[in-house]
Amino acid sequence: MYGAIIGGALSIAGGIFGASAAKKRQKEAAREKRNLKNKLNSLEANRQAIINPFSDLSGLISNPFSNLSVATGAAEIEIEQADIALANTLDTLRSTGAGAGGATALAQAALRSKKGVAASIEAQEKQNEDKRAAGEKQKQDALMREGQRVQQGEAWEFGQREQREMQELDRTASMLGAARQAEAQATSDVTGAITGAVGGALGSIGDYYGSR
Amino acid sequence: MENKNILQNLYLKQFNESNAIAYNKAFVASDSDYNFQLLDNAYRLAGKYYAKLKIAIDSNKCESEHCTLELQQLKQLEEAPQASLDFLSSLIAELSVTEESNFDPNNNYKYTIANSLMSGRPGFSKTDGYQAYLDLLPNGSQQVVFEGPAFVEPLVINSSALRALLDSDTSLVATTPDIGANMLKLLTEVGLFLPEMIGEDKQLKASAKISEEFILRNINGSYDYEIIDLGGGKGRNVLKFDMAKIEKKVTPFINAEVAGLMSSEQDVVAAWNVYISKDTSISEDAQMAQNANAAGSSWSYELDLPLAQDKKVLFETKYKEYFMNNYLKQFTKNQIPTVKEDAAVFDLAEAKKAKAQKFLDDNNLN
Repeated sequence: MYGAIIGGALSIAGGIFGASAAKKRQKEAAREKRNLKNKLNSLEANRQAIINPFSDLSGLISNPFSNLSVATGAAEIEIEQADIALANTLDTLRSTGAGAGGATALAQAALRSKKGVAASIEAQEKQNEDKRAAGEKQKQDALMREGQRVQQGEAWEFGQREQREMQELDRTASMLGAARQAEAQATSDVTGAITGAVGGALGSIGDYYGSR
Repeated sequence: MENKNILQNLYLKQFNESNAIAYNKAFVASDSDYNFQLLDNAYRLAGKYYAKLKIAIDSNKCESEHCTLELQQLKQLEEAPQASLDFLSSLIAELSVTEESNFDPNNNYKYTIANSLMSGRPGFSKTDGYQAYLDLLPNGSQQVVFEGPAFVEPLVINSSALRALLDSDTSLVATTPDIGANMLKLLTEVGLFLPEMIGEDKQLKASAKISEEFILRNINGSYDYEIIDLGGGKGRNVLKFDMAKIEKKVTPFINAEVAGLMSSEQDVVAAWNVYISKDTSISEDAQMAQNANAAGSSWSYELDLPLAQDKKVLFETKYKEYFMNNYLKQFTKNQIPTVKEDAAVFDLAEAKKAKAQKFLDDNNLN
């Protein structure tokens, strides 16, 4: 039947129908391959994100002693009080007619008081500086530990991703491999059918060409 | 237009499958000529033309300078037989899709007629008024022309156009994906069944059951049953499933399946028209080609491709519903308890009474 419909030698018609069946298989295999590719892309794109339990927290590390302020307010009040006391005492001395010696002694006492305040500020500053340095050391140590931990986490995350991707890749390779193989086989069948038929066709057409 | 096309396709399908022609006395009594002789007719004058070109070139009597044109035509002629075989085999492969059991009748019905003609179906012979030609065109391409009563106007298919379509993974006639087979495969991939539930044929075993983790339980670990009324005052427990968890689990796999199908939007339209468009059941799908129940909501290959985003989303949603309703439901509905004593049929009134008493006990209401 096909021979009559198509015409030419019977081998040509057989070749055409053989090739058409192979082409259909080739197309199905190609479709399967495309489907699998898209499917796997979708699975990969939508899979659960890997959460790194060692994620970088260094931004949260700070030196709590970096901005310590000296309690100068209290010192200022102390100085002010000393000045007021001095002024009051001077007034008393003046009203009671005390001598210059008393005033000098008083001025020296005020000076001592102010020196004491200055010393207290200095001590606070020194103390803060020590704390700041200790804090800085702690911060550096913590940053170092965090750095090591983050490195560890990156290695873990890489390992996890690597493992999952390898699984996906294995599956892809296996499924796509089968689809590719089917496609290649069908392509080879097409070529075989066409080549066989072309031999017949060329002979038949050669006969035409030769006989006219 | 679309409905007329569907009706034509369905009529042709039924005509080819019904064997009615065997009972047509006029047909049986008359001679039917299927001798379309595509190649014979196409190459009838080729020998003469080849000789003319060859002589012109050999004797340097060409019409074009340096015989450029003649040499080109000779080359075309030498390559034509292989091109014809390639073209016809591709065309037959495309047209044969119309014979598939789940063929979408929204495809152009003229391809169904052309296939009937090419495969020598009764009623599509030269005697019935049909004709087919293969033309070798001057530009080197070839065309097949189909004519006959059902075509209204000739159907012309050019080899270059067909090659271009096929090279870009497009089809002349859309193939309908085997959604049933896809969904059976999907069942094994969605992670609801343990690997031992899957047979060597990569299908679920007949005894397959959804994994325990998706079955609802009470706080004390016992199964949370649903009681179904068997009639006659009798009832029995059936398992309850965590449908939200199941849906969450299967959704990425369904989406991936749809993404795979979307690699060919033609196929998606075919799947929509034949399977997914309505909330059809599997048994209705088997009748699809006959009653064309997608007609009202079918998508057109001419008008709806490329698919708009809203259609893609709709397809994904309906595909999921189709899977859940037609394939997964059988594993989540009326599942008998695995605990033997819970599986027994019981007196419904007694069970209700016991349940009420338990509620009173649990809430210190006695």
